[in-house]
Amino acid sequence: MAPYIGTATSRIDGIAKVTGAAKYAAEFNVPGLLHGSVVTSTIAKGRITRLDTSAAMRVKGVIDVLTHENRPPMADNDQAYKDDVAPPGSPFRPLYDDKIKFNLQPIALVVAETSEVARFAASLVTVEYEEVAHVTDIFAARDAAVPIKPPASPVGFTPPKARGQPNRALARAAVRHEGEYYVPIEHHNPMELYGATVIHESDGKLTVYDKTQGVQNVQRYLCGVFGMKPEGVRVLSPFVGGAFGSGLRPQFEAVLAVLAARALERSVRVVLTRPQMYALGYRPAMVQRIALGADADGTLDAIAHDAVTATSQFEEYFRQETGWSGLLYKCANAKYEHKLARLDLPTSCDMRAPSAPTALFALESAMDELAVALELDPLELRLRCYSERDQNHDRPFSSKALRECYRQGAEAFGWNKRNGAPRSMRDGSELVGWGMATGIWEALQMPITVRIALTANGSAEVACATSDIGTGTYTIMAQVAADMLGLPLENISIKLGDSTLPNSPVEGGSWIAASVSNGIATTVAAVRNELLELAKKVPNSPLANAAPDEVKLADGMIVDERDGSRSVSIADAMRHGGVERIEQEETTNPTADDSRARNTHSAVFAEVKIDEEIGVIRVTRVVSAIAGGRVLNTKTASSQILGSVVWGIGMALHEETLIDHKLGRVMNANIAEYHVPVNADVHDIKVIFVHEHDDSNPLGVKGLGEIGIIGVAPAIANAVYHATGKRVRDLPITLDKLHP
Amino acid sequence: MAIYLRPASLKAALSTLAQASGKGRSAHPLTVLAGGTDIYPTRAGKQAWLESFPRDFLDITQIPQLRGIRRDGRAILIGAATTWTDIVAARLPPAFDALKQAALQIGGLQIQNRGTLGGNIVNASPAADGVPPLLALDAEVDIASVRGERSVPLASFIRGNRQTGLARDELVVAIRLPGHRASSRSLFLKLGARSHLVISIVSVAMLLDQGADGTIADIRITVGAASAVPTRLAALEAELRGERLDASLIERVTPGLFSVLTPLDDVRASSHYRRAAARILVRRALANFMEPQVEEVAA
Repeated sequence: MAPYIGTATSRIDGIAKVTGAAKYAAEFNVPGLLHGSVVTSTIAKGRITRLDTSAAMRVKGVIDVLTHENRPPMADNDQAYKDDVAPPGSPFRPLYDDKIKFNLQPIALVVAETSEVARFAASLVTVEYEEVAHVTDIFAARDAAVPIKPPASPVGFTPPKARGQPNRALARAAVRHEGEYYVPIEHHNPMELYGATVIHESDGKLTVYDKTQGVQNVQRYLCGVFGMKPEGVRVLSPFVGGAFGSGLRPQFEAVLAVLAARALERSVRVVLTRPQMYALGYRPAMVQRIALGADADGTLDAIAHDAVTATSQFEEYFRQETGWSGLLYKCANAKYEHKLARLDLPTSCDMRAPSAPTALFALESAMDELAVALELDPLELRLRCYSERDQNHDRPFSSKALRECYRQGAEAFGWNKRNGAPRSMRDGSELVGWGMATGIWEALQMPITVRIALTANGSAEVACATSDIGTGTYTIMAQVAADMLGLPLENISIKLGDSTLPNSPVEGGSWIAASVSNGIATTVAAVRNELLELAKKVPNSPLANAAPDEVKLADGMIVDERDGSRSVSIADAMRHGGVERIEQEETTNPTADDSRARNTHSAVFAEVKIDEEIGVIRVTRVVSAIAGGRVLNTKTASSQILGSVVWGIGMALHEETLIDHKLGRVMNANIAEYHVPVNADVHDIKVIFVHEHDDSNPLGVKGLGEIGIIGVAPAIANAVYHATGKRVRDLPITLDKLHP
Repeated sequence: MAIYLRPASLKAALSTLAQASGKGRSAHPLTVLAGGTDIYPTRAGKQAWLESFPRDFLDITQIPQLRGIRRDGRAILIGAATTWTDIVAARLPPAFDALKQAALQIGGLQIQNRGTLGGNIVNASPAADGVPPLLALDAEVDIASVRGERSVPLASFIRGNRQTGLARDELVVAIRLPGHRASSRSLFLKLGARSHLVISIVSVAMLLDQGADGTIADIRITVGAASAVPTRLAALEAELRGERLDASLIERVTPGLFSVLTPLDDVRASSHYRRAAARILVRRALANFMEPQVEEVAA
């Protein structure tokens, strides 16, 4: 049997998805299901003075309108609302009181017999407010921004410690570059709208189908908010139509649906509209200043990286915004500062590779500008500043094949044919620009528990409470289990997305592939050990003297690895032992060894063709070379990188949440006017996975969900500079920014 | 709850409109609904502001004579409820190429299957992509009510941003294209912030008729999204009419001839950029007509 790991295995859930058999949170039906429509605030800050629901209540088919005034009891302390990944602060409480903290905040839920009636009646709710002055502009809040506090836990995020004498190094540098860079707020727009279907079971228990990246996180959170017993709430999320970080924290659709189900003792569904999705989190706007100092030979001698990012008035969301620049390049002198600007918006949140695409837009644009100042090829500058160590923590990397990314990416792209002078390359009437940038992300692994049940007929069920947010988790779990159990792929069934399954962290941080694959390996070892014990009891067992680590499972057999002729079939071993089913559940913890840094890397090369007169930019080619450890599935992995690159194109050219700061409200809260690339904006994208061996975990997996977006926007911005001679330091690079 | 009427004949539709827009008990404004591709997003936008959208609808999609394209003497009549997809599929002379090119760039295919030409002009968006090609075709709007029928030039029918000369009891029945030479060619150019599915930053429609002697017998140039109403560039047309169609003409497309435009500064682009882009698109459209004509050869 050929191994599955490392092959281009098609998704095992693919047919279910394209035929509609795969059900999403808002697609589960029960008789008598009620529908909730959310009413949202139209001011950014203040309090509700009057909320009139009488007209809505009079509409035929309306069951109830829930507000802060008539809702059932909810917890009255912050701790109850803290989910597994909550930032410091006081979490938002939906329908809790009369206070308005952001525009589009949910303030009422109209529950009706049909979604149409609910939505109509929701438009009849009238609200009066006492308004208070708000601020939604990061530039207006910038001066009042305060440095982030050092985190309580060692895994928290904080700017790295300064090293060397950065001020002096900058002052004496032969070549200096300093610039300010800006990335606007970007909002999550996954295909699937946030929705929850809460089934009120006959025994009063709740079954909650929710769109989430962490069913157990939602389950614990709901228990906290409503004071429910864990056995009274089961949360499921078998399929997720994209989440990208927006579903790491429990969102308010689940709270509102549970609230209504408890108040009415009925089953209730709540689905947000696309505009209401703009009341969830977002990638924070980021204003950065970077100063680089280099010797004339292109050796980096000083980095100063300051960032201001946006958060809400009530929570402090941030990641390691400035830390990336200390990690990526060799530089003896460095200093960092990270401040938070508080805005009257919802709390910002994780979005694909949180902090890295924005931070590296600044750093990699600045490196390109430094290369121009040094009259050095931008790739050559990266190689001269290549770091073999994580200087933030003064430790080596567990593996770092970035040099190979540069080499293979440059070769595939044809980088050596680049004429370095801006405006020097043309294709007919179009200017051609070639730019490159580097990407870096974390390779994390989290504690996880996996249960495997093997039956004598040679089929196995693998269960874990992780999610598959569309990345292909179902498939890689089946591949790993099939290889390790020595069974055909079709004999493996995967159970996930159910809070009653063995423990899993939220699916985020690119850590699930490494966590769950190694988790499967651990549990398979336990299954194998149990099988070996049974095999030894078979009369005249050829494995009588074999030790557990000397046997493997292959082709339905327990096989002595030293002598393949010595084997016992799994079916025989189980039959002899009178065992129909073997079930093992094991928890796998990542290595506690933090003497090495664990990261993925990328080199991104981009070609743009620009209509010089009107500034229309086409990203005609992107080559993304990835060092991400072992690739479990080349097909789903490539898809992750392709999708990331497309998003990077959007970040560079299209995406921008536009806020009317007078109203404190998003102006383009829909996917017609919040631009992401359309198919016609996407051209040739080539993904390369370079070989990278990493022994941080037995399978050598690092995770690939996020690395692909990092570096794409600066590679494009650098290509735009190369094409036009014009440096755009604020994203997105719209047509008029290139116009004289 | 809202009223939703779907008459099967034009006569019934007009009498309903007359009743609804009269005085007295049966009076209630009716919103005419065809493809719904403008009404639906408007409604969603209102709802996000907690504003109800208490409209009563008159759905005209079941009235057969409102949909389709036919000849009326020398004129071509396009029914008000004719979809963009209908227009793309129709056999029409080259003078209509601009209209077809616009049709193909209005939303995605699903929108093109629903959205109608009549809706596009009645909605009267400054950025309506259907309007510049129609203005270049000297389109007229056929309007009917129980009081009778009338026909007005499209250029005077659209009076401003979202404003038309349609009375409450009137219905746009068809768009009348009064005549064109078989030799007329046309072109539509659209500029947006992405390649497709985007509201125009600026758009240009050009219709050109070249005489046997190579001079420009007729030229009509319209710029969309750069004024409250898509605007014909009459001064530029006069400048070019009668001239030989050659490369030297491009230099005659000078900024001063665009002073009639009043572009806005908004989130899509600056007014400065819009003005410059309009001129560049017009020059490109003109240059396009200078390229040698390629006959289509059957494979």
